[in-house]
Amino acid sequence: MAKVTDMVLWDKPGEKVLLLGNQAIARGALEANIAVFAAYPGTPSSELTDTMAIVAKKAGVYMEYSTNEKIAFETALAAAWTGVRAMTAMKHVGLNVAADTFLSSVGMGVEGGFVIMVADDPSQWSSQNEQDTRVYAKFANVPALEPSSPQEAKEMVKYAFDLSEKFKHFVILRTTTRSSHARGDVVLGELPEEIKSGKRKFGKFQKNPKRFVAIPAHSREFHPQILEKIERIREELSDCPFNWIEGKEDAKVGIIAPGLSYSYVKEALHWLGVENVKVLKLGTPFPVPYGLLEKFMDGLEKVLIVEELEPVVEEQVKTWAYDKGLRIPIHGKDLVPRIYEMTTRRAVTAIAQFLGIETPLNYEELDAKYSKALEIVPPRPPSLCPACPHRNSFYAIKKATRARGIYPSDIGCYTLGLLPPLNAVDTTVAMGGSIGIAHGLEIAQHGSLSEEGRKKEKKAIVATIGDSTFYHTGLPALANAIYNRSNVLIVVLDNLVTAMTGDQPNPSTGQTPHGPGKRIPIEDVAKAMGADFVAVVDPYDIKATYETVKKALEVEGVSVVVSRQVCALYRIGQMRRRGEKWPIYYVDEDACTGCKICINAYGCPAIYWDEEKKQARIEPSMCWGCGGCAQICPFDAFKPEGGEE
Amino acid sequence: MKPIKEYNIVITGVGGQGVLTAANILGWAALHAGYKVRMGEVHGMSQRFGSVVSYVRFGDEVYGSMVPEGKGDVIIGFEPVEALRYINYLKQGGMVVVNTKPIVPVQVSMGKARYPELGEIRKIVEEEFKAKWIGFNAEELAIKAGHVVTTNTVLIGALTQVPEFPLDAEHVREVIRLSVPPKAVDMNMKAFDLGIKAAKNILGL
Repeated sequence: MAKVTDMVLWDKPGEKVLLLGNQAIARGALEANIAVFAAYPGTPSSELTDTMAIVAKKAGVYMEYSTNEKIAFETALAAAWTGVRAMTAMKHVGLNVAADTFLSSVGMGVEGGFVIMVADDPSQWSSQNEQDTRVYAKFANVPALEPSSPQEAKEMVKYAFDLSEKFKHFVILRTTTRSSHARGDVVLGELPEEIKSGKRKFGKFQKNPKRFVAIPAHSREFHPQILEKIERIREELSDCPFNWIEGKEDAKVGIIAPGLSYSYVKEALHWLGVENVKVLKLGTPFPVPYGLLEKFMDGLEKVLIVEELEPVVEEQVKTWAYDKGLRIPIHGKDLVPRIYEMTTRRAVTAIAQFLGIETPLNYEELDAKYSKALEIVPPRPPSLCPACPHRNSFYAIKKATRARGIYPSDIGCYTLGLLPPLNAVDTTVAMGGSIGIAHGLEIAQHGSLSEEGRKKEKKAIVATIGDSTFYHTGLPALANAIYNRSNVLIVVLDNLVTAMTGDQPNPSTGQTPHGPGKRIPIEDVAKAMGADFVAVVDPYDIKATYETVKKALEVEGVSVVVSRQVCALYRIGQMRRRGEKWPIYYVDEDACTGCKICINAYGCPAIYWDEEKKQARIEPSMCWGCGGCAQICPFDAFKPEGGEE
Repeated sequence: MKPIKEYNIVITGVGGQGVLTAANILGWAALHAGYKVRMGEVHGMSQRFGSVVSYVRFGDEVYGSMVPEGKGDVIIGFEPVEALRYINYLKQGGMVVVNTKPIVPVQVSMGKARYPELGEIRKIVEEEFKAKWIGFNAEELAIKAGHVVTTNTVLIGALTQVPEFPLDAEHVREVIRLSVPPKAVDMNMKAFDLGIKAAKNILGL
């Protein structure tokens, strides 16, 4: 079967294929004749960027993995200024990083269409918070479109580019985990000639300082223009093909279903067997088109808004109703939770309560049975992979600090170092945050080296940060710690790939999707910035890593240890593809004393406890052959077997 | 194609076991059979050896990507406790096709949690959820077929024998044949047959 990424570039209009929401968006961007795409990966947005990475060259699109969302935003924005169509993509918290540029440049507008894809993560499947991008849309006065299916996601991208060009304004395409990571049937549309022939499109920048130089005298004029624009867009959206009224025309009750919530509302209505309602399907949660709303509200006696997270639509509807003097009950967050993701159960429950009918399923009964079942289910949180080099780094750091250090960490797979038995993560806030937090903890507890009255204690704060995260926002934080004379150790866990989001390349390897870029070794950066100690180690050598960390702790000032070993998951994937084998370790039953150091201090998921024999065992299908266990076992009980696959 | 309102499959297991691959095969099989398809999955952090779940749904009244709680027709469990962890999705009288080979979580090895007996899991499935338990060691059959990675094919084979499963077994087999690398076709076909046989034995077909 053809690869899905190939299908995204198929010149087969009318063909029905199964695409991930993010891939459907990539296809939409191609159908819209996009010229420039720049993004920093982040779950749940990453597959859009990765798909673009694969098809870009063939489609004549410039694509890059930028080092962070702000830079990606600026890259795409500037491209749109030159008249070509440009897109950036990020997870919701990525927009926080890009927010400075975003909010400062809204008034400048664009020439070519500019679409900002932002993927929210209700229920926080892979994120540090649950923010709702539609609030940003309102804050910035930028329209937000939200699809209810993969097909609609594709079509919306095209519409978003047209809308952006028509009003010379930014457009946000907001998705959530359940739309970005939903697969569904998508009918392919026409591809433009330039995309089919792979012809690169170039823009031309027209200087206009009054527009592009945001000194107060210029940008003071932006605000009224932005407000005027968003109201014109609100009017336009009454005719948007993703907004419509359906159901019974003379119904007395109405349900408003924005974005993906529409799909849950549809299922709930089918399940409940309710037909006597009118539904306002909204693909544009901000701004709510008041013209269409007025038509919908006509004759209604009560309304329910089934909306995920913040009451963005609810507030607009209530404001409009108040101003119109409309005094009917408008329900929303009183019946629909404001936290966590929408489900059919939530929609069913809210609608049943709203209509005063029974739910088709006795949820109380189900919950009671289910909690009984859960009583015997042991937890299985995600863990660092077998052979993960981070495990060794954490093990060495804990040992070198006798587990008495403070361990600020960052955003990446290595956040999982939090879990037992490593317990090697004390704080995680946001991308690049580890270094600033480490510095703050140090100066608050001991002072800076430049202070005379500082408390002189041995260095015990060890920050961990990944390679991609280091380049994302770690750089200015490192400069700050060195400049302000901090006394901390920063271990850069350099696994030579952006592992958590799907193995994207970054400056540490210098590779790009299109061939070699320029490599920037982390140790060179640290040295150039003036770190007081810089070393590179291979964490697969646990003893050497331990000794290097110990040495780094002895030095006063900012120490940087680059712990470099390729991501195990990435390496195993490559080896499997090449048909290569690796050694599988096993436990020598004569040597294992059952001391449990491997389980209670090291914690490789391939190692488990044999309750009968009171010994460690290795699950061979999970061993990736790093040999870390053999290094940490005091009794040499782990031995390699010849390379089995 | 027999028109249906909805058919809901919940696939559960441990990250790395091939849950996403199985979901994909079933999704394409449903699409090729002419159904409207929705699938839901979670990427990122939760894939790292943690508990994972995917949903495959098809039919005229399917919109969202997640199977609603209490509406699953069948749960495919790649691992016994993972099948139980998502049992809330199963409808009353649904089916549980499960690989009975456990993967012991780190917390259990550390002595911080207990792994239940297979009989305890089965009892809840059968008595509380009134579900049909189709449990067998799929991993053993996969190894017999040629490699442990074919465990998902074994389970899909078994799934095709579930009463009222809307897709034709031969049709699903064809999608697997086209999806796997050429050199892996034979062992996957063998795995598929072993899965069919195992389910037939249990169901008395």
